[in-house]
Amino acid sequence: MSARSAAPAISRRTVLGSAVGLGAAATVAGCSPAAQQEAPTGGASGTTRTVTVRLWDEQVEKAYRASFDAFTAKNPDIRVETTLVAYADYFTKLRTDVAGGNAEDLFWVNGSYIQPYIDNGNLMEIGADFDAQRGEWIQPAVEQYTRDGVLWGVPQLTDGGIAIYYNAELVEAAGLTPQDLTDLTWVPGGGSGDTFLPVLQQLTEDASGRRGDESGFDGTKPGTWGYSAAQDLQGIYYNFVGSAGGAFQQPDGTFVFDSPEGRDAFGYVVDLINTHRVAPAASNTNDNGDFTRDQFLQGKIALFQSGIYNLKNVADGADFEWGIVPIPAGPAGRVSVVNNIVVAGNAATADREATTRVLQWLGSAEGASYIGAEGAALPAVTGAQQAFSDYWAEQDVDPGQFAEQGQLPSISAPTGQNYGAALTAWKPFFDEMFLGRTPVDEALAEAQAAANEAING
Amino acid sequence: MTVPSLPRPSAAVRAGGRPRRRLRGDAPAAWALLAPSLAGILAFLVLPILVVVWLSLSRWDLLSPIRFVGLDNWVEVLTDGRLGHSLLVTVLFVLMVIPLQTALGLAMALLLSRGLPGSWFFRVVYVVPWICAPLALGVVWRWIFSPYGGALNALLGTDVEWLSDPDLALPVVAAVSIWSQVGYTTLFFMAGLAGIPTQVLEAAALDGAGAWSTFWRIKLPLLGPTTFFVLVTGVIASFQAFDQIYALTPNGGPQGATDVIATRIYLEAFQGGFNLGGASVMALVLFAVLVVVTLLQQRFFAGRVTYDLS
Repeated sequence: MSARSAAPAISRRTVLGSAVGLGAAATVAGCSPAAQQEAPTGGASGTTRTVTVRLWDEQVEKAYRASFDAFTAKNPDIRVETTLVAYADYFTKLRTDVAGGNAEDLFWVNGSYIQPYIDNGNLMEIGADFDAQRGEWIQPAVEQYTRDGVLWGVPQLTDGGIAIYYNAELVEAAGLTPQDLTDLTWVPGGGSGDTFLPVLQQLTEDASGRRGDESGFDGTKPGTWGYSAAQDLQGIYYNFVGSAGGAFQQPDGTFVFDSPEGRDAFGYVVDLINTHRVAPAASNTNDNGDFTRDQFLQGKIALFQSGIYNLKNVADGADFEWGIVPIPAGPAGRVSVVNNIVVAGNAATADREATTRVLQWLGSAEGASYIGAEGAALPAVTGAQQAFSDYWAEQDVDPGQFAEQGQLPSISAPTGQNYGAALTAWKPFFDEMFLGRTPVDEALAEAQAAANEAING
Repeated sequence: MTVPSLPRPSAAVRAGGRPRRRLRGDAPAAWALLAPSLAGILAFLVLPILVVVWLSLSRWDLLSPIRFVGLDNWVEVLTDGRLGHSLLVTVLFVLMVIPLQTALGLAMALLLSRGLPGSWFFRVVYVVPWICAPLALGVVWRWIFSPYGGALNALLGTDVEWLSDPDLALPVVAAVSIWSQVGYTTLFFMAGLAGIPTQVLEAAALDGAGAWSTFWRIKLPLLGPTTFFVLVTGVIASFQAFDQIYALTPNGGPQGATDVIATRIYLEAFQGGFNLGGASVMALVLFAVLVVVTLLQQRFFAGRVTYDLS
């Protein structure tokens, strides 16, 4: 008897059946979510449950990891994992992941993008489980994320207001002192009463060393720019619109930036770039939101206007003396946009109880203190803000200017059901306007029409 | 010119040499062997296409429930000027890329096939851009073309706004595309040249044909199948070009100068409005355009390509 005949008889039908079965199994396995990625949420049945958190800020992620280590030490049954997604792709990826059921249990969201998630029931209500903590959160953040009496996220960061970081060496080289920068005023169209533009011209140098206010200055060959004017919503143009006395959006979401005040504000900023050339050409900045920050850190921009969200980056990246001064005042005074960020609970989480406990931790003074402890950002939990102040006091940095600006009149942060679509709609017109190729009046009119069409779906 | 002919298969071999009854008996086994790949094709090719067709008839923004809207998306997209603009930009892009990419690939293949010293080094170098991640290359090129601090302006001593000038943006992204794809084209032409029987070239040489005459009358005609393949795949790839163009000019470029159809589909689906229905319509239009273009190419080459190298 041969070995072959001794083996159990396997019919062709058996082989075919097995092949088809294996193929089907492989196909089904390939389609199942578990095969695509590890299940993001833990189940209550396991001894250790995993809660996942998505955010976009690298500095805060480091702080979160320390915070979650402390949380797990107190709650050994829950492990917390963080996922960092770059801001440029954050809201695109979040939306596709929420749609695909792959989003984390908790994720950061800002005022511009939260509305569709509220409208479609994708977020957990911050309800009675958080009543004991509500008083610890800063009120503007609670108001910004409350709709019809329901809060949709636990406040995490507050930006305060916008301020200007200055390079002390460049300021001194221009024959100025930090005091010269503390009370500047911009006037629509420049001219009489405008103290901001002359300072910027003094701070700007072309490649051959001529200052922006000297004859023969050639701004097309830049050496050092005086200012960071660019198509930066939060850092630059919202504040100019606000300090011109205008609004960008009405409370119902309608865009109203094509107004006399809006034209004054954008006209001034565009002139700084294209006429006076005290800021980088928009071809550098339109598609690169980090260009001005990077140039400031490289000592190529004297005044960098931004928020507290760049404080840690500046402190870590600048190898020169620097300080913080107020933004310039406009016809309506010194007005800045104030924004807050919340962490929201995913309504589709598989473990609501564990997710709620992590949310409560992040909303507590202890949990949020880690954000401030390393100076990563200003926590929106009042009791955690002292850690932030202490950290920067140790570094001999006074970030009080952001808080002071936050107390002044502000312009509302962008929002709306279709805010992302509106931003996509107005950007091409703004690109051309900042490049100086389309007149401000024309660009604003077209941009506003496109934005309003998009925001209304 | 006399060329020894290769042995041809006998009629019995061509017919398979086995009775029809046997073939019928093998059918289940054949289906079983095909089943895994068929399942894959159904799950990952046919099903997604059907989903795209369904989405083209629906309103969906990823978060709200999917709502059937009939032909509304089709009417909206086909009456909106953006699709036509994107198709025009795409055709211009293809016309810039394909002739140069093919000619350069052929020229480099001819040079590298001569066996000159160091040819192996250039063979590797030419293929490197093709095997690198297009998005990463796009980021590097973006720095090279940066108006301030960019390598190209520094090298030339100019202040040209390569990517934000509406007249320059498309030729610039086309040049980057050619640069990254020419190695791939070269590889195929080299394979095609290696497949030309040496006896044909020797016979041409014996008959007194010069290098130029050999190229035009022998090599180029016998490279017909390769040229056909390179053109078909190149045209399809150029119509679908996305990653490098997106990395260089993220929002369709200045005044929509680089708003090719693949970028438009992405922007429509995933930026801002999340209009999955409209994007699906555009994807199906692109599919139809590619089918038509490929059929036209096939028809053009049908009487001009010989697969018989004997």
